[in-house]
Amino acid sequence: MADFSLIAQALDQGDRDKTVALTEAALGSGANPQEIIAQGLQAGMAAVGEKFSSGEYFLPDMLMAARAMKAALEVLAPALEQTGIPTIGKVVIGTVEGDMHDIGKNVVATFLSGNGFEVFDLGLNVPAQKFIDEVKEKKADILGMSALLTTTMPVMGRVIKGLEEAGLRSSVKVVVGGAPVTQDYANYIGADGYAHDGGRAVPVCRELIGK
Amino acid sequence: MPMTVAGRFRCAGSLSASSVGQDTDKMTMTHKQQILAAARGGKLDKLPFGARIDVWYNYHSAHGTLPDKYQGWSQTDILRDQGAGAQARFFAVTREEYRDMEVVETNDPPYITTEYHTPFGNVAKKELFDSSEGPWIRYEMEKLFKSEKDYPVLKYVMEHTEPADNFEAFNKLREEVGEDGMVMTAAGGLWSPVQRVMREIIGYEQFFYELADRPARVEELIEAVKDLERRKLQVGIECDLEIFNICANWSDDIQTPVFRRYFVPWFQEVSEFLHSYGRLVMAHTDGEMRRLNPLFRETGIDIAEAITPAPQTLVSMREFREQLGDEVTIWGGIPSILFEPMYNDDDFDNYIKNMFREMAPGYRFIVGMGDNLPFDGDINRVGRVVELIDKYGRLPIEV
Repeated sequence: MADFSLIAQALDQGDRDKTVALTEAALGSGANPQEIIAQGLQAGMAAVGEKFSSGEYFLPDMLMAARAMKAALEVLAPALEQTGIPTIGKVVIGTVEGDMHDIGKNVVATFLSGNGFEVFDLGLNVPAQKFIDEVKEKKADILGMSALLTTTMPVMGRVIKGLEEAGLRSSVKVVVGGAPVTQDYANYIGADGYAHDGGRAVPVCRELIGK
Repeated sequence: MPMTVAGRFRCAGSLSASSVGQDTDKMTMTHKQQILAAARGGKLDKLPFGARIDVWYNYHSAHGTLPDKYQGWSQTDILRDQGAGAQARFFAVTREEYRDMEVVETNDPPYITTEYHTPFGNVAKKELFDSSEGPWIRYEMEKLFKSEKDYPVLKYVMEHTEPADNFEAFNKLREEVGEDGMVMTAAGGLWSPVQRVMREIIGYEQFFYELADRPARVEELIEAVKDLERRKLQVGIECDLEIFNICANWSDDIQTPVFRRYFVPWFQEVSEFLHSYGRLVMAHTDGEMRRLNPLFRETGIDIAEAITPAPQTLVSMREFREQLGDEVTIWGGIPSILFEPMYNDDDFDNYIKNMFREMAPGYRFIVGMGDNLPFDGDINRVGRVVELIDKYGRLPIEV
């Protein structure tokens, strides 16, 4: 029987080759791919996220873990063709219009994806209407917006107003983040959640949708 | 090759005029003199203030929405009117010239594409440059580095780039600001060598993947950029600027082990070089600094500029003071967000007064922004800081 904790450990160490090898071995031994994801990969990502939030790990540690996870998921993809990767919620995410910074947003997207969310990453410099259209089309549970500049930060408030005008506000939880964004500011613009960093984005989103 | 430090203390002509410290008549000191005196550990009678408003100014200039009173005014004149010292920004006192390669620049606003044709092959980058929305946006939409085969080309580009002086443009701005503040600039570019490789040449995420997969190639490229920066410093030192900014945009996302291994030795080398010429060394440290603060003290850098405390980061001003120690000058302290309308005047005043208390007794502290007045910020709060300094910022601050 495969030891999923070894997969979690390899991922925690950001060791892509080892994570892939252990995933292949687990799959070869007949392990359920969804169990490999939940008890191996997602468990490893959760550990990395906690260590990042506590200050033990750094952003690059998260990037290396995310790269290992992506490679392992590619190994599992054929086996998941019928069932798909299990998801706990849909997230539309992007950096707001006028803002070209995406490192933090990419990390959050990767971590959400690694923790069972289906993520639709709209990239950077995303117009307000695009966020609203995608929330509607994807029937998103969560909208995540990022801004690194005080200049672009108010765009997040405009998107929230746009969601209200489109009658979508009650159907989606809005989470904001980025260097100048604070909990006070999130409250001020009427967001539902605020995540200071990528590691915290996962528990914040889980809590918002009750998962 | 390491730089040669000056054999004796050397201070260029105009440096002496403003490099005053304890002996100067405090009542007659200009903003520039106050800032330099604080940075050199001088005992002033009140807190100096160097304010940065280019985000606010660029935005409202581009949109024709400057307040009526300030229509047609320069940034420096607005700051003079508010009573604050100016913190103007100029990229570098050197510019890059190229030899033994063809460099083709195509300007297709807002994008600029630059291609480097070398005997080892070609590389290209695509940048977006714009300041009409406030910040100086210069974003590499397409990085120079695309794959492993680009390393020798990039090394060649760095080795065949030569610095030339850009003093005339710098001096023009410095004359405009005069004694009413400081023009912040660098010998080279915005970044230190590793930061340039990480942010500009390879890109943040790919940099860490490359460092894990091909460390020797990355380190070779870093060394080539370092050599270019050393040549820039040898040119830049001939300019009589008092403070050299040697790296921008520090934040926690520069992994601490990477910072310790690759950044610290470089900063030590550059600090030693600049100090031997009597110059001050500064870094633009406007990000989340909680894990970099302990290492700052190893760098030899004199000024931590654009310090941005809580609520915008996790570090309070008291913690900054404790962690950076008494030998480092802190310039900053007012997070941009405090200028936003969501904070009322009482919130603002209380924050400033508390910041003064946290920084008591207040030496080696220059009040400033972390790092700018936001576009929807209230310009009159700059003047309010001046009033609060007059009332509560007399030194030494007693708690």
